[in-house]
Amino acid sequence: MIKKLPLFSLLIITQQLLFSQGFQVNLQGQKQQGMGGAGTALMQDASSLFFNPGGASFVNKNSINIGATPTIARGAFLDANTNQVSRTNSPISYPFAAYGLFSVKDSSKLKFGMAVYTPFGSTVQWEDNWIGRFALTRLQLRAIFFQPTVSYKLTNKLGLGLGLIYASGKVNLQKDIPIINSNSDYAKAELNGKANGYGVNAGIYFSPTEKISLGLTYRSQINMLVNDGDATFTTPSSVSENFPNGKFTSKLPLPQVITLGINYKVNNKLNIALDINHVGWKAYDTLSFDYEVNTASLADTKSARMYKNTFAFRGGAQYQVNEKFTSRLGLAYGITPVQNGYVTPETPDANRINYTAGFSYLVHKHFSVDASILFTHLKRTDTNIETQLSGTFKTNVIAPGISLSYIF
Amino acid sequence: MKLFINFSLIIVVSVTSCKPKFDIPEPEKGSADFTKYVALGNSITAGYADGALYYEAQENSFSAILAKQFELVGGGKFTIPFVNSGSNGISVINNNTITINAKSTLGYKTDCKDVTSLSPIKLTPNDNYNVFTTSIYNVSNPFNNLGTPDAKVFHLNHKGYGNSSSPYYNPYYNRIASSTNSSIIDDAKNQNATFFSLLIGGNDVLTYALNGGASDSLTSVSRFNQHLDTIIHKLTQNGAKGVVGNIPDITDLPYFTTIPYNGLTLDADKVEQLNNLYSPLGIGITFSVGANAFVIQDAAAPLGFRQIKSDELIVLGIPLDSVKCHNIGSLIPIPNRFVLNTTEINDIKNYTNSYNLKLQNIAQAKNLAFVDVKSLFNKLKSGIVYNGVSINAQFVKGGAFSLDGLNLNPIGNALLANEFIKSINLTYRSKIPHVDVTKFRGVIFP
Repeated sequence: MIKKLPLFSLLIITQQLLFSQGFQVNLQGQKQQGMGGAGTALMQDASSLFFNPGGASFVNKNSINIGATPTIARGAFLDANTNQVSRTNSPISYPFAAYGLFSVKDSSKLKFGMAVYTPFGSTVQWEDNWIGRFALTRLQLRAIFFQPTVSYKLTNKLGLGLGLIYASGKVNLQKDIPIINSNSDYAKAELNGKANGYGVNAGIYFSPTEKISLGLTYRSQINMLVNDGDATFTTPSSVSENFPNGKFTSKLPLPQVITLGINYKVNNKLNIALDINHVGWKAYDTLSFDYEVNTASLADTKSARMYKNTFAFRGGAQYQVNEKFTSRLGLAYGITPVQNGYVTPETPDANRINYTAGFSYLVHKHFSVDASILFTHLKRTDTNIETQLSGTFKTNVIAPGISLSYIF
Repeated sequence: MKLFINFSLIIVVSVTSCKPKFDIPEPEKGSADFTKYVALGNSITAGYADGALYYEAQENSFSAILAKQFELVGGGKFTIPFVNSGSNGISVINNNTITINAKSTLGYKTDCKDVTSLSPIKLTPNDNYNVFTTSIYNVSNPFNNLGTPDAKVFHLNHKGYGNSSSPYYNPYYNRIASSTNSSIIDDAKNQNATFFSLLIGGNDVLTYALNGGASDSLTSVSRFNQHLDTIIHKLTQNGAKGVVGNIPDITDLPYFTTIPYNGLTLDADKVEQLNNLYSPLGIGITFSVGANAFVIQDAAAPLGFRQIKSDELIVLGIPLDSVKCHNIGSLIPIPNRFVLNTTEINDIKNYTNSYNLKLQNIAQAKNLAFVDVKSLFNKLKSGIVYNGVSINAQFVKGGAFSLDGLNLNPIGNALLANEFIKSINLTYRSKIPHVDVTKFRGVIFP
């Protein structure tokens, strides 16, 4: 009758994995963050290595800049059918960035730099036994980018730059499997892997007049390859053969970003900057997991993600109050790449407005402190085609950041 | 630095207030009154599963789940005739008034070929037959769940249905009956309920089908209609609102779909042996290596037996060791009582359609909520995805059905309860939240 029992066609790990939200929270520089994330045409400090390698050569002084932006995200889900509210208890994540920008000689047109930053990295942890536990219970992602960079001032008005990126990441995904044992414990799946990939960050900086500067950058798509991940299953012993622990491979595309930026220097004290990002999320059309050992219950999976390319608009103003103190204010609007029917508990993404503010304080001619804060609120109502999870996700994010600069 | 302090203050305040808030819709009762809910029906309403009535299954019947949700809109106490929580379950064995059966759990079983596999295993009963003859009726606290296993539509109106001298004697009802001469419908009516659920009619085809159509008979449509009219009349007499479900196509149940018609797997030696035996008979019975159609009894066939057709069904009650090791289905035809043939299947489907037509019509005529249970069970055949959980009607692995292949697991009951809620909300403009199906279990694995 039941010869080889469970050929569970469970939606095992047909899942959902994604580095960061559709809209990247650019937390790579405190000055830029204070201005809504704009910084492609306004060269602030060594963080220009990220924002526009082409403009880094226009930064006047050598500097080392180290900062972090603790990010607190509180998520919740209102299930449309049961009116139950589930919440996340995700830990605070700590994106950091460190930049060093040097010229060989004081007069040199050529600058070298090294940027180390974490553009993607967060943990989404849903409360125990939440209504979507069979879709996801926890997703932890971490990625560190290393970007050695050269920047060359072609003329007094034009600079070019190129950075090579090596990205190293970690992913850990957990979910429950709807198979129960006599102690009422559900089976669990955990996917744990390391990923890495390569890319470039290139930019042009052009300042036609003293008042206006323009920036154009291209950050390439980076395919994060998970080659040797560990899939671990905790199941009742009678079905453990159907869920063998083993290796898996997967691929996560981090999208290309093309940015056009403009900065207008109203006067010696006031700058207004605007960046437009075009983000190539279309690359993320499928998420697949390839298990080394397949069984009737554990088949390789391909999940449609169907992301679309999107735009983000970031603008801000910077006002130098006095010699020591500069204040900033900014706003950003991001369009979600996640289409209706594809919203998931690990990226309950939505169109969003970021509100940001910040300041700099020059403690000493060699030493300054920058701080910023970002708030955003996301709300998205959807029914996921794959899991049928239906309801409203809300996420509140607050990200206060601080960095220290040594200027020489 | 004052600014810095202000800035820090903003951060602290924002962090503590950053929990998302929702405007959660208030549950509403609409035009129905759920103060006193009674449930009428058969084993599904009673909370019978895994081949027996037992505490956890009673707790998770769709009617008990409904009653819990009704509490959100003013529903009162729902009294269930529980068996002991430590009981292994109670089930009547045909014509046996001494011993009883208990529920099954999934365990390891070694068959006649010495192959060990996961299989439902009956527990040893820790109750005896007295459990059925000892009345647990309490006049000051009558049972809201009057669901009675094995009940057919006309049984609900039968006075003395719990009396052992009755031709329709039902021991499950004997336990909970208000008197030796009472009927289920009067026990319901006397409670003056404000809301009722009725899910009846399944056994009017199922009892016949369980025995492969060899005993019992299908309830005639006129008898079904007449008795249903009486039931609905009595339930609505005082103005009570209610919900009526139709009955599934029972040939969709795992009890009938698990054993494949061509489950006779043969090697070359066996094929030769069987062909040598059957081909001289000249009745078209042949075998080949691999999967073969079983040989079944059929009084209408030339020699009284033939091979089963692909759309005919073998019931799960067939003794599998006899099939595997004792040539049942090959040398010895499978007895009629384990097979539903084309005629029987067509009868079952036709009667089901007639019953369902009546159920739907009467619900409409009386402005009652109507649940298309048949359609839910049909969807379960191909599978339902609920919040990442895939649930289907396959035996054991599909999760929806309990180990008896006929009744639902808690997760299946939760899906069914949500169908009831949907239809109640629609009919009475109530806003009763659905139940979270992921909180209910499927089959328990060792």
